[in-house]
Formats: sequence, structure tokens, C-alpha cells
Amino acid sequence: MGLRQKIIDSDFYRQMVQRRATGPLRAYYDIPAADPDTPVRDVEFVALDLETTGLDPKQDEIVSIGLVIIRRLEVDFSSCQHLLVRPKKELSESSVIVHRIFDTDVEQAPDIEIALAHILPILAGRVLVAHHAPIELGFLGHACKRYFGASLQMPTVDTLVLALRDLHRQGQPMKSGALKLETLRHTHNLPPYRIHNALSDAIAASGLFLAQIAKRDPKGELELRRVLR
Amino acid sequence: MSLELKEISDFLKQHHPFDLLPDDVINALPKRLTARYFRKGTKVLSPEQQCLHLHIIRTGGTETRDPDGQLLARLGEGECFGVRAMFRNGKAANNITMLEDSLVYLLPEKDFHDLAGKYPQFNYFFEQMGGARLRSGMQLLEKRDDDQLKLMSIRVSDLIARDLVSIDIGASILEAGKLMSAERVSCLLITQNGDKVAGIMTDRDLRNRVVAEARSFDEPVTNIMTPNPISIGPDDYAFDALLTMTRHNVRHLPVMKDGKAIGMITTNNLLARQSLSAVHMVGRIRKMTRPADMAKVIAQVPELLSNLIEAGATSRNAGHIVTTLSDAATSRLLQLAEEKFGPPPVPYVWMAGGSQGRQEQTALSDQDNCLILDDAYDPDQHGDYFKSLADYVCDGLDTVGYVYCPGEMMAKTAEWRQPVRVWQQYFNKWIEQPEPKALMLCSVWFDLRVIHGTRAIFEDLHRMIVTKAKGNRIFLAYMVGNALTHHVPLGFFKNFVMIRGGEHDRTLDMKHNGVVPIVDIARIHALANGIDVVNTYERLEAAMAFPSISKQGASDLLDAFEFISITRLKHQVRQIRDGDRPDNFLHPESLSAFERTHLKDAFSVIKNLQAALESAFGKSGT
Repeated sequence: MGLRQKIIDSDFYRQMVQRRATGPLRAYYDIPAADPDTPVRDVEFVALDLETTGLDPKQDEIVSIGLVIIRRLEVDFSSCQHLLVRPKKELSESSVIVHRIFDTDVEQAPDIEIALAHILPILAGRVLVAHHAPIELGFLGHACKRYFGASLQMPTVDTLVLALRDLHRQGQPMKSGALKLETLRHTHNLPPYRIHNALSDAIAASGLFLAQIAKRDPKGELELRRVLR
Repeated sequence: MSLELKEISDFLKQHHPFDLLPDDVINALPKRLTARYFRKGTKVLSPEQQCLHLHIIRTGGTETRDPDGQLLARLGEGECFGVRAMFRNGKAANNITMLEDSLVYLLPEKDFHDLAGKYPQFNYFFEQMGGARLRSGMQLLEKRDDDQLKLMSIRVSDLIARDLVSIDIGASILEAGKLMSAERVSCLLITQNGDKVAGIMTDRDLRNRVVAEARSFDEPVTNIMTPNPISIGPDDYAFDALLTMTRHNVRHLPVMKDGKAIGMITTNNLLARQSLSAVHMVGRIRKMTRPADMAKVIAQVPELLSNLIEAGATSRNAGHIVTTLSDAATSRLLQLAEEKFGPPPVPYVWMAGGSQGRQEQTALSDQDNCLILDDAYDPDQHGDYFKSLADYVCDGLDTVGYVYCPGEMMAKTAEWRQPVRVWQQYFNKWIEQPEPKALMLCSVWFDLRVIHGTRAIFEDLHRMIVTKAKGNRIFLAYMVGNALTHHVPLGFFKNFVMIRGGEHDRTLDMKHNGVVPIVDIARIHALANGIDVVNTYERLEAAMAFPSISKQGASDLLDAFEFISITRLKHQVRQIRDGDRPDNFLHPESLSAFERTHLKDAFSVIKNLQAALESAFGKSGT
């Protein structure tokens, strides 16, 4: 873990950003983060996936957010959320091709501020689960900073990082595509998904996460810190 | 919102009994679920453990064992566990262990009961007892079994007997009549420009419109034909064809596909099916004098069988009817033998054993038979006569299509052509000193039925056998041990334990792993209780009155037997239709999910009753 990451994940950093946070982000920080020594089965997670107009949080925008909550190591489908977000700029052709989300789809959708106000209470007190989390953290963090005065600090499990650790531990040479969500799901005997959008990818990541935990400790008694990124 | 969870509802829709739920209900179901992931080897449930969810396997597989560790089922994708707990206030009944890494969906108990309360089919499926579930499945299948629906199961295209005979619209009545006569048809299609149907003309038209009206034969057919005839499509049911004929009072219907006539069906086509009826076939055999002729009739047995099954016959009926034909051939051959070699010097009785004895024959049967001779039999004086008789009949049966018994259990073999006193010794020995070889013979010689000759000869012997076997616990214990060597294929890869490798790779042996175990169980209960019938259904029905098997157990086993037998027969009928030789090896993939589930239930019924058999008569009881 890099020094920068250590700082960002530290309590000190959290206290610092908390002071600057406004609005729904302030309420988010009022709820304490999960204790890293808690056994994972007692931690609540939220698997989240974003679709964006590109890869640069500074320039590009979020167009949809999908999430699902994991309690006692069970994915709770009743908690599924799938929000479309109206970008400030017009959608570029290339991003439309990737997401099949068109301007007309997002016309009625809320702005990112409203979407954040909706999801921040869901994120509060929970641990983020994402496949390649820097994207999710980068975009959410940038938006928080812009609209609510401070960045988003959130304990995070990155299923891609866990997969990478598994592969390193096995000492196997890495095949191309080995860290793709679909590939990893397949190796854990999880069903393939035909549909790809923010929610189905969030659900896909939640299943992979359960498999990765089960592989480490079927009873789920290992401490949260051991799976945090 | 439901679009994203469509993956889950689509999955549920593919699996029984969720497929029975209305669309709006199943689309709302994913929101009620949670998902868990289990590693291979994880013990998920154990008896009396709290289980407040129905578990639906999304990927992977499990094994169910009862509290004593006996394997009850292996389940795979789309199947459910924790079902018993739903009916036991959330207390699991069995041990569930993951055989593979598995993703499992959990439906809360309350939602389960809401669905079960609202949708009876859903409820039936999950009813606690495997047997109860099987019965409801059978009832669903049996709904097809009434007269109108028999015709519903045959398509018009299956009735088209021969190529279409047609004549151009420009032909004269004489030309049309000549063609009908040459082609031996009662009906002619009149066409225009090759294949456009202009009209139809029948022999009734020749009678009513030509002869009765003294019309000239040179007039064009158009003057007497019925223009634009009523027609029917190849995919319509025979039932529709019959309705159409009745409604319009016609006896011929052109079969039209894409505007072209592809054939003609007549009331005779329907009657032709009648000529294939067993009664008709038996009648023909009775008049025949050569085995080679009988072979032509018996060659139609596969077709008879497929008609019977298509018409919704039960396997019990089908077995009875098919056996009637081998009985007819056997009796006829014996009559012919007596004509050929003269009247028998001493009375005898010809017995059928095995599946013919039990009246449970299918499309493929070999012969099992023996001769029991009056005690006045003297080998030196009468030996040649009965040898000739037995050779004639056994060789004849082989020609007819009932191949020689591979174990030589035929009257042709000297050992099985003996007077009553020798048969008494045989049975005494088998019952009093059971040994493996004798047990093998039991499956044939304890299922004897009189086919021809002096019935009284067998009756005394039979009484002796029934009385002796009834009280002999050691003999019964050996029979049980033998019966338990036939394992039920509960468990395939994720479903059933299938044959691996070889010619029948990845199949189930429906005979040895399905039919035979039930036949064995029924035989033991019959012998133990002095029941003298040999048909498996009749044995089980009679056994219900005795304490050795519970009424519920016997009735579950009857259902299981019918289900396994009919599944096997349908498999054979499919092979016959495809032009293949029928066999007993079924690919489970060829079944619907519904059938697979019920087949598994049937196997678990056998498993339970094999266990019950062991505790009733097994070695521990001796």
C-alpha cells in the first residue's frame, strides 16, 4: 500500500475531511466507520458500481449508480438501487456506445448532487465493495468534494485486489483477462450475467466478494482489516 | 427496476415449480431473495438446525443425507433444499453438504408459505413426502388420459398413409375413374397448374353423380367434383380431423401445407390404426401356421406400443397388452406342435416366467419359459416327445422375435423341462438352501404364469411354493440381500448417478436401476405374505393388506413403478419413432425438468422402501 493511500485511509485524514464536509456528506461522516477488527460477517457492506462518461474523474461524469447491500454475508436483493444521473455535459457518442444510456434516458434523471444525497446515507457506516475500486472512489470523491466541500473517505474492499492477492499466493502466472469480473466469477463457479449495467455489475461484484470471503474463512470470522484494500 | 433483476427471474422461470407461477409474481420474486455463497464441503444444514429459508441452488450442487447418513438426494442447479424445514416450523430434517462451490438464493419462510397458499401447483411440488409429490405429478400427466385427448395426441401428419393421388382438372370422368382403380384409392384430388387444388372427387361421387345420374364418362371431372374442398393442416390433431369430417359429413380430407396439398387422410386411415390393435393382431396370430408369418405381426409390436403410449395408455395396460401377444404366439406354437407331434403322452403345462410371467413385457423381450410335466412322465418313454415340443416352441418363439434367453431359462433346456416332483425338489432347495445362483433363478421362476396345458399341474406346485416361502425368514433375508444389490441411481453429476463411459455413457439404466428394484421389492412382499399373484402392481396392491409394508409405502411404490415404467416406455417409443433399436438407457437431458424431478422422487421412494425391506426381512431380523 502506498503512503498516499495510508494517509487517505487514516483516522487522521477522516477527521480532517469531516470538518470541511457539508450537507449530506456531513451526515455521512457523523456515522462512524466500521471497526477494522470486526469479523466480516458482522460488517455491513455495500457493493457499488458506477457507469461514467470516461475514466477521468476530473473531466468525466457519472451517468448511473448501482448498489446492493450485503448483511451477514448475504446479498440482500431487496436493497438493490439503480439510479440514472443527468450529466452536466451532453453525452459523448463513445460513452453512449459503452453504456447504451442516451440523453433522453437521463433527461428526467436527478443531478449528481441529488443522487449523492440519496446514496450517501446508504454508504454511511458501511464498507464499500467494488471491482477496481479506484474508479468508484475517484468519481464519488471528486463529486463530493465539488458539491459538499470534502472528499469521500470510505473503508473499501476491492475484489480485484483480493483476486490479485489470491493469484500471487498461488504463485501462478497471470493470464490476460484473469482479473476481469466475469473471469473471476467463472473461476468461483458463479453464474454469468448477460446484462451489464451498474446494478448488475454491483450484484456481480457482491457475489464475487462472498466467494472470496468464503475461500478465506467459510465461517466469516476473519477480521475486516484482512480484506480491506 | 425489475430489468436488472431479470437475470434472477429468468433463472427462476426456467425451473420447476417456479415456472408455474404467474409472470408478475415471478418478476417480483427476486426482490424477496438474498444470496449466499458456500464453499465445496460446507455443511449448510443439519437435522433440527434452524432453517428459515427455502434454498434455491443457483450454481453448484449439494448432497442430502438423512440423520443416519444415508444418501437421499443430490441436487443441482435450480433445485431446492431446506424444503422439509418449511413444513417443520423452520427445523431442518436432513444433512445438507455442498458438493461444489455454490451460489444459493434464499426465499424467506413467510414468502414461501404465501406462495404455497396462493398457488396449489407450487404447493404440491413441495409437499413434504416425495411420494405425495410424485402422485400429484402423475395426476397432472394422467389428465391427458381420456378418449378425446387420445386423438389429441396424434397429428394429422402421422396419419398420412401414402403419397397423394391427383389428376389434372382437364381429365374426363373415365380417366379419373381409371386412375382411382389403378391406384386403389377411394378419393382423388383435382389439381390445376400442377399443385393448385381445384377440387376433390370420391368413389361416392362416381356412384351418386355418375352412375345414379346416368352421366356420360366423357364429361369432365369438374362436373362431378366437389370444388374447393375442406382441408386440414399437417400439424392439426387427428381429433380436429375427425371433428371436421363429422361436421361436414365427408370421409376424405386433403392435408394442405402452404397452399399445397401434401396428402389425404380418410376415415380409413383412422380405421387402419384399429387394424393395428392388439385384438386384431392376436386374431391374426391364431390363424397362422408358420412362425415366420407370426414374426411379421410381432414386428408391429413396437408400433403398437408407441400408439398405445401416444394414446395415453398406462405402462400397466401397455405391459398387459404387449404380453397378450407373446402369450398368443406361445399358445399358437404349442397348438401347432401338438398337431405336428401328436397329442401329449402325459399332461403338461407350459409356463411363462420373468416379464412375460408378470405381464410386464415391453418392446424388447427375450423368452423365459419352462415345462412342468405330470408325475406320470417317464423320461425314457416321453422324453423325446417333450424335447421336440419344447424345441419347436422355443425355436419358433426365437423366429417370431422373442430371442433365446441368454441364461437358457427355457423349456428347451432339459433342466427346465421336468415333472412336478423334480420341480418340487428345485423349489425346496432354492427356498431351504438359498445360494447366489439360486437367487438369480428366483427372479424368473418365482414369477410363473400358466400359458397353455393342464392348469391343475401347476396349482399344487404353486401352493407348495407359496406356503414354503412364506414362513422362511432365511430365504427371505437372502432375497432381500439380492434385491439390495440393485442400486437406485440417485445422484447424477448434479442430478442422477449415471453410467460412466462405454456405449451408454451418461445414461440411466431404467431397467436395472429402476424397474428391477421395484419388481424385486414386490416379489419379496408377495412371497413373505403368501400372495400368489405375480404381476408387480397386483403384488403391491395385495401386499398393502399385510404389515410388512405400509399402505403408504406400497402406494408410493405403485406410483413410482408406473412413473419409471412409463418414462422407460416413452424413451423406447422415441427410439422406435427415430428408427433406432429400443433400449433401457435414458439420457436424463432428454427429460423435461418436471419429469426429471418426478423421476428423482420415484427413485427416492425405491430407496426408502429398500431400506424398509431390509429392516423387515433383512439379515438382522433372522
